Amino acid sequence: MRGMQKMILFGLVSIGLLMIGVSCRKENPNALTSELLPIDGNPLTSFRILLKIGSANDPTGKEGLCQLTWSMLANGGSKALTIKEITKQFYPMAASLSLSMDKEMAVFMGTIHKDNLEKYYGILKDMLLNPGFREDDFNRIKTNQLNFLEKTLVNNMDEQFGKEILNLMLYEGHPYGHYEAGTADSVKNLTLDDVKSFYKEYFVQGNIIVGLAGGYPPDFPVKVMADFSKLPASFTPRLSLPKPHIPQGLEVVIADKQTPATAISLGFPVSLTKADKDFFALWLAGSHFGEHRQHVSLLFQKIREERGQNYGDYAYIEHFVQGRDKFPAPNRDRPQQYFSIWIRPLANSNRHFVIRQALRELKKLVEEGISEERFQLVRTYLLNYTKLYAQTLSERLGWQMDSRYYGYQDFLADVQTALPKLTREDVNRAIKKCLNFENVCIAVITQDAESLKSDLVANTPSPVKYANPNMPKAVLDEDTVIQVFPLDVKAEKVRTAPAAEFFQKGGIPQK
Amino acid sequence: MIRCTALALSVFLLLAVPTKLQSSSVFPYNYKIEVLENGLKIVSIPLNNPNIISYYTIVRSGSRNEIEPGKSGFAHFFEHMMFKGTKQVPRPAYDEFLTELGAGTNGFTTDDFTCYFVVFAGRNNLEKVVRTEADRFINLYYDEEMIKTEAPVIEGEYYSSVSNPDRRLSELLRDTAYEKHSYKHTTLGYLKDIQDMPNQFEYSQLYKKRFYAPDNSILLVVGDFDHSQLMSLVKKYYSGWEKSNYSLQTPVEPPQTKPKRAHYAWPTQTLARLAVAFHGPAYSDEVGDKAALNLLAATSFSPSSPLFQRLVNEEQKCQSLGAGFNDTRDPSLLVLNAVVKKDDDLPYVEAEILKELERIKNEPVSADILADIKSNMKYSMADALGTTDGVAGTLAFYINLTADPGTLNKLFDLYDKVTPKDIQETAKKYFVPANSTVITLTGGKAK
Repeated sequence: MRGMQKMILFGLVSIGLLMIGVSCRKENPNALTSELLPIDGNPLTSFRILLKIGSANDPTGKEGLCQLTWSMLANGGSKALTIKEITKQFYPMAASLSLSMDKEMAVFMGTIHKDNLEKYYGILKDMLLNPGFREDDFNRIKTNQLNFLEKTLVNNMDEQFGKEILNLMLYEGHPYGHYEAGTADSVKNLTLDDVKSFYKEYFVQGNIIVGLAGGYPPDFPVKVMADFSKLPASFTPRLSLPKPHIPQGLEVVIADKQTPATAISLGFPVSLTKADKDFFALWLAGSHFGEHRQHVSLLFQKIREERGQNYGDYAYIEHFVQGRDKFPAPNRDRPQQYFSIWIRPLANSNRHFVIRQALRELKKLVEEGISEERFQLVRTYLLNYTKLYAQTLSERLGWQMDSRYYGYQDFLADVQTALPKLTREDVNRAIKKCLNFENVCIAVITQDAESLKSDLVANTPSPVKYANPNMPKAVLDEDTVIQVFPLDVKAEKVRTAPAAEFFQKGGIPQK
Repeated sequence: MIRCTALALSVFLLLAVPTKLQSSSVFPYNYKIEVLENGLKIVSIPLNNPNIISYYTIVRSGSRNEIEPGKSGFAHFFEHMMFKGTKQVPRPAYDEFLTELGAGTNGFTTDDFTCYFVVFAGRNNLEKVVRTEADRFINLYYDEEMIKTEAPVIEGEYYSSVSNPDRRLSELLRDTAYEKHSYKHTTLGYLKDIQDMPNQFEYSQLYKKRFYAPDNSILLVVGDFDHSQLMSLVKKYYSGWEKSNYSLQTPVEPPQTKPKRAHYAWPTQTLARLAVAFHGPAYSDEVGDKAALNLLAATSFSPSSPLFQRLVNEEQKCQSLGAGFNDTRDPSLLVLNAVVKKDDDLPYVEAEILKELERIKNEPVSADILADIKSNMKYSMADALGTTDGVAGTLAFYINLTADPGTLNKLFDLYDKVTPKDIQETAKKYFVPANSTVITLTGGKAK
């Protein structure tokens, strides 16, 4: 009987919310929206407070401001509580409020047991709606952001460094064309007033989606929506993005540093997102070519398994951030995407060979497409593997929010109906339409950049030596082709600079 | 706009986390433990969530087992070789099997064990997984050339974190703090040993014979399956696996008799690092020292601690401050670490950490703070155990230690018994200068 009462109450609340929602959505873009995933009886509740505002909204000259502002909310105090008091109250609940940032999106996340839901929400609400904006929090968070740019990114994490240089190359002169954290020079000039202004302009109802999942009480969403509805009723029109830079030939940027290993990222923009009808076809091609950290990846098989060159080699047809385990993290949605290849660090002596090998494999993919056998195998793989994507409450909610963004009822469920309808021809058509091997940006972190530049421009043969003196003949035969595989690299398309100069005055150092 | 999705979710994978958290039921699931005649232990945890099964094979051999000179990193290297297939199911066929299954699969190596997991959807796939996994553990096949091709991959893995100063800090800390025990090296091993791996074919065969045996392994299966069906499959496919009967004698680490210190000059710019370490006890769910030190570490170095608040948020000398103390089979290090914003502040931060340790010896921890720490541990564990693979992934570390999931509840019961006085006494016992190792790392000029 109590269950029945609960259901009725829940139904009434939902209808009420839906009514508010419909009127808000159709007639008022200034109003708050929500995404609810109630699971009766689950003792946990996950929050995803999603902002449709990211680093692309940074004002010119104030790059990094969005990240700094949202970090002030997640890691600074509220008006009522200092960060010290918040941490002390969060700790016994094992609670936190984390932030992930992207170009056009940011999301605040937390999961809490029902024992602590009211208390946790009370703090979270104040952190987001009544931020303290204290000077000491600002100094701490700004210094951390600056240290990351000046010391950590360019010195201590070469794989990420390479990926971020590739992003700069793909989007020069575009709102995506600066790193989320900004540059050292831009961050140095940011002030607390800048942060307050950015918050005031962008932390408004129409820019926010309140996501809730789990066993929260039926009336809880009403309360949350009422609280967040106290924010100004306005919204930020979606950015009108110019077309991204299409590389003209092979464009290379080499960051020079003292290192025994070379990190490489390659890529180019693609005119397709999850919202496109060809998405599933290209997604299957990407999985075949380079599924993230899985044996199914062709690049992984050719570069790591056959030749032992490095720890792994992968490819992506959209911006990818690894979430739990090896699965993609949700809520990094973009209306413009890019294709990329990630070559994990390898001995400097083999860098030229592997750049050749990656581009040769890409050429084969574009020219030859996928075989029927691989098509069938990878389709089965994706049908099963995607069942593992959303194992936690928060992930499930995140994928649900992404489904809305791209126009799906439930993307992960739709995978199960869309993939069986695909044909090999669909995939090969999407490959031809979206991928290429001639116009590619290449970002490299290595030692002695000028020698790599010379080798690339001169097409110097790049034979490799193996620890195994009895490598299979098929591999050695293929190597004789790869080591002289011609790359059309023009000297004027290669930029080199000391690693420490990146992300300082601008993104890529300008000579 | 409110969007409400009813739960018609075909692939929803969440478990029911306990609605009331108590120490004695931190691990709330029913489980069974069985042992085959060949010594293989099976820990079976059927859950009522639909669709997902986590199938973990835990081999109780990690870098702890690398007791011979020149063999550091071998447990991790052998983990890679375990993916080479068998004569019946060669590598390409094994890869194809996993691909069709759409499994989340990999392995990882720790100080004490190596773990292989296959996480997959569909209980109808269970027999295929049991059969294929049993085959590769019993009949693994590779030749010398395969060793020579795989070995450079380890060097590549080493390179993937070569720009990270934390790895170098950890290497130097272990190498300095330990004299005899194999915890002296990291799981990846020394670079010179990694570079010699192509020449270790014969040793790899010996390694397999010693450690990849049922009497040194545990199967941990969690999720949507029937226990009796699992056991009949396991008996069918694993009974032919031969025992090793090998007994490993790890070198005993002699008591440290004087303070140790080392410094690493990182070649490029970086934030400074500090590690202050003390030899501590091994994991135990019966003796309170380890539990007391865990609570102490949280009390004094967690984000809610006064020292963290002062050094990180108020004085802003540190970017981070924390404590690490792995649960291990043999005694290991309790490490207090800090990322320090200015090199010149390293002595100050070190002094403040040591002052805090002296304070703990003299002032009992307040009952309120201790209660907060225990509460955090319970909710953190409940969160970790919230999905099928969360259960398996969390338990793997404890199963390795005791082969019994019940150790979790025993451990949390032990936490409940630890008093402020216990913490004081334990601090006096372990935090003495002669037992300490301090490592610093500072950066050079950027190129």
